[in-house]
Amino acid sequence: MKRHLLAASLAGLVAATPAFSHYGMIIPNDPMISQEDGRSVGLTLSFSHPFELDGLMLDTPVSFSVTHEGSTTDLLGDLQDATIMDDQGYTLDYPLARPGTYIFAMEPQPYWEPAEDTFIIHYTKTYVTAYGDDEGWDTELGLKTEIVPLSKPFGLWERNIFQGIVKLDGEAVPYAEVEVEFFNDGAVATAPDELMITQTIKADAAGVFTYAAPSDGWWGFAALNTADYTLPQDGVDEDVELGAVIWVHFEEWTGQ
Amino acid sequence: MIRIAAMVCSCVVAPFGAAAHGLTVFASVDCETVLVEAKFSNGKAVQQADVRVFDGENALQSTLPIGPDGTVAVPLDSVDHSGGLLIEVSTGSHDNYWIVTPDDIARNCQS
Repeated sequence: MKRHLLAASLAGLVAATPAFSHYGMIIPNDPMISQEDGRSVGLTLSFSHPFELDGLMLDTPVSFSVTHEGSTTDLLGDLQDATIMDDQGYTLDYPLARPGTYIFAMEPQPYWEPAEDTFIIHYTKTYVTAYGDDEGWDTELGLKTEIVPLSKPFGLWERNIFQGIVKLDGEAVPYAEVEVEFFNDGAVATAPDELMITQTIKADAAGVFTYAAPSDGWWGFAALNTADYTLPQDGVDEDVELGAVIWVHFEEWTGQ
Repeated sequence: MIRIAAMVCSCVVAPFGAAAHGLTVFASVDCETVLVEAKFSNGKAVQQADVRVFDGENALQSTLPIGPDGTVAVPLDSVDHSGGLLIEVSTGSHDNYWIVTPDDIARNCQS
């Protein structure tokens, strides 16, 4: 039986394979902050192939913000340089003044990917709930493209389903393609085939997709569309891949 | 801080049960007042509840009725807050709590 053990030791090998997906990442230390956890959340921003733990350069984002109770605050100037998965990333410790859902969102600079002959812009967001109050969990930010959660993007058991609706310019995208990948933190997961590293599903006619995560941990969902504009690269107008990325944490089932 | 930790332990059973019923309690503090807020998980403000204020030794300092908007203000000078405060809100069938630590008071007093 052919079996590819795609662990961290093979990261360099698989990174050279263009089939694996890029993901913008905003990973908090905890998606559900209780009062016993403290009064802030620690955030890590990166760009990577998350299953292989292969970091990529994340230049200073175009924007990074938090939205809470309908108010959006610019946090770009608060980011601290950090090395994430051996490449440039950022960290931030953000104080949580009140209960509710905090949505952290990043627009990165266009990333030129020569292997795919395209620019990549992944609008990335992650929802964090504070102090037992999940109000605002279904907030739509109005990004260029985004996945609007139909299931709470936290507080899910492993093997629960996550549903979201893919939007581009505020409109649902019928049959949108959504790539799903596990953040293989600790390199504990292996895949029986490369097709299992990035799974691909499609939304329905209303732009709604459904996925059941097989394990606890962070799972990234990236809905990909091609922009209606191009960007210049070496004198040539190149396509731009727009990604709507959301990171969702599934909790370990503690029952029998 | 040790006393606050002890309060957390003493209350850990009740809040876990209360959490299943979706009562959220939060208290913000400045140099003069602790503002207690309580609402249900559907966002509706608690209409009737007792608000009990315990000091860092878990001694009851004050009991107040919550207001119709789901809030009540507790003057800081009316309670011994040197070891922090535990604010417990009970509707009779639901209860939950919030801990105001000495650090919370110090941090918000400085700002």
